[in-house]
Amino acid sequence: MTATLFDGIVQGLQLSLLAVGITLIYGLGGVLNLAHGQLAVLGGVAAKLLLDWGAHPVLAGIGGIIAAGLFGLLVDRSLLLAAYRYRGEERLLLGLILTLGLSFVIDGYLNYSFSEFSLTLSLPIPSVQIAGIPMRTAGLTTSVIAVVVFLALFALLRWTLLGKTIRSIIESEVGAELCGIDPARTRTIIVGLAAMMAGLAGIAQGLFSSLGTEMGPEFTILGLLVAVVGGVRSINGTLVAGVLLGIVNAFASRYIGAYVAFIILLSVAMATILLRPSGLLARFT
Amino acid sequence: MSNRPAFSRYADVVLLAILLAVVPAIAADSSYYLRIATLAVVYMGWTIAFNLIFGHTKQLFLCLGALAGSASYVTTVLIQQLQLSPWITVPIGVTAAAGLGALFSYVSVLRGLGVIFLGIVTLAFSLIFQNLVLGLRQFTNGETGLVTRGLGFALLDRPVAAYYLFVVMLALALLVYCVVMGSRMGFAFRALSDDELTAELSGIDVAACKIIAAALGSAIIGLFGTLYGFYDGIISPSLFSFVSVDIPVLISLLLGGMRTRLGPIIGAAVFAVIEEFVRPFGQLNVLVYGVLLIVLFVAFREGLVVMLKKALGFSIP
Repeated sequence: MTATLFDGIVQGLQLSLLAVGITLIYGLGGVLNLAHGQLAVLGGVAAKLLLDWGAHPVLAGIGGIIAAGLFGLLVDRSLLLAAYRYRGEERLLLGLILTLGLSFVIDGYLNYSFSEFSLTLSLPIPSVQIAGIPMRTAGLTTSVIAVVVFLALFALLRWTLLGKTIRSIIESEVGAELCGIDPARTRTIIVGLAAMMAGLAGIAQGLFSSLGTEMGPEFTILGLLVAVVGGVRSINGTLVAGVLLGIVNAFASRYIGAYVAFIILLSVAMATILLRPSGLLARFT
Repeated sequence: MSNRPAFSRYADVVLLAILLAVVPAIAADSSYYLRIATLAVVYMGWTIAFNLIFGHTKQLFLCLGALAGSASYVTTVLIQQLQLSPWITVPIGVTAAAGLGALFSYVSVLRGLGVIFLGIVTLAFSLIFQNLVLGLRQFTNGETGLVTRGLGFALLDRPVAAYYLFVVMLALALLVYCVVMGSRMGFAFRALSDDELTAELSGIDVAACKIIAAALGSAIIGLFGTLYGFYDGIISPSLFSFVSVDIPVLISLLLGGMRTRLGPIIGAAVFAVIEEFVRPFGQLNVLVYGVLLIVLFVAFREGLVVMLKKALGFSIP
């Protein structure tokens, strides 16, 4: 019972890491990134390449995160420029199709070139006892990292000038531009950050169980569901939704079965879109 | 609408019908090429339907495979479980698909969902469909799939006859498309694809137009889905997956050109040829899909038909 709850929270935090990136890119850039899960896999692949090259696991992990971030920057400065030329609905549609195309390019390339790939990182101590409950250190570590990342993100949004800039662009891109903010620059920084968080989620998956090249679409879909349930413009909503869906998923797949669990998750997401299009915590952003 | 004689207005359709009719004469020796031609006709039908839904009424349905699959599975499971004749179950399957399409459209109109949210809702439905098929093992036989050979129409088990049946269905779909686009509703579609608000203000019932387009399109998708299921001999979730139906159809539509009569057909034909070239590379075909999607959407948003029109200076509707 407690173990399932713990599993759910760990998984939920990992989902939130992915989903927050989707939320940020959507809020700032007006592009729903359908290649976000693939960024996570790219981070994992980069980490694995560094590991094989002989790097220390921690350094390899950091390298993977940075590689994902750099790729995000590249995508923002090249592919997405085509979408940024438009505004509103037109940009959304173009961004959706372009990132869908990108996800296929990444999937196709990775599955072709790294068909035997799997990233598995293991920690020196497999599990510890906390308050009488055995807990896997992998889960604990990823959760702690995720929480630290979220705290840093909230601090960034709340107390720095960049954070204010970001919040103002989410509020209104035109308004921000009129106040002398350069949305393109902020957007690039945020896409890079979001990609790094995706990379972290990918590596966390490797730490938690194992990461394969075919997992990109699954990551994207789960991240998308969490982002939608949390409200695609609300960051704390996304965090709550991630943990909530993680717990629901853990319990449902333990007691009802994996297929039904996924159907429940999808139905929850559909119902949220239909009943509360701006997300669970729409009023408390 | 011009007052030219009917023949010259539809000359391109007649030409196309003749072209499609002679394909078996060329490909009859090789069952492989005949099969590819048949599949291309199926995709043409799907793309015409998607043109109605996405091209004309701007509803991004990312569940074409799931709609086709629902129709096919409903039909097949009803035949197997209740021993009904396909003449009864095919209409039920097609109606199920049309109902689902109309439901998504109705809900999205009702809740004022934008193109993105309708996209996500329908994408979620695709995944629900896949998981339902995998989960309801006792009816659908899970990943292995159901054998449909011999269950459907005897015609579909003979390659050349099946090809002609699909061509006739394609002609029907095209006829429906032409009738709709030639009617008052066609004018309404053109108006609302330019600007929905303006269309609404000039007295067009945008909601009704969208729902009718979605229902008609989904019915066509369902019809081709069931017949394809019988033709293929075995239906499985992978036959109707997102990558094997939605993406090719989306690329075909962009390739040929949205909101054109012949675009979907030309696009699907060109796509079938491209796919043949990519087939030897196995997994890389997904990469090619991605590149095509990006290049088409960035550079050629009007599609081949409009480009040809401009380059050659003659008129293709």
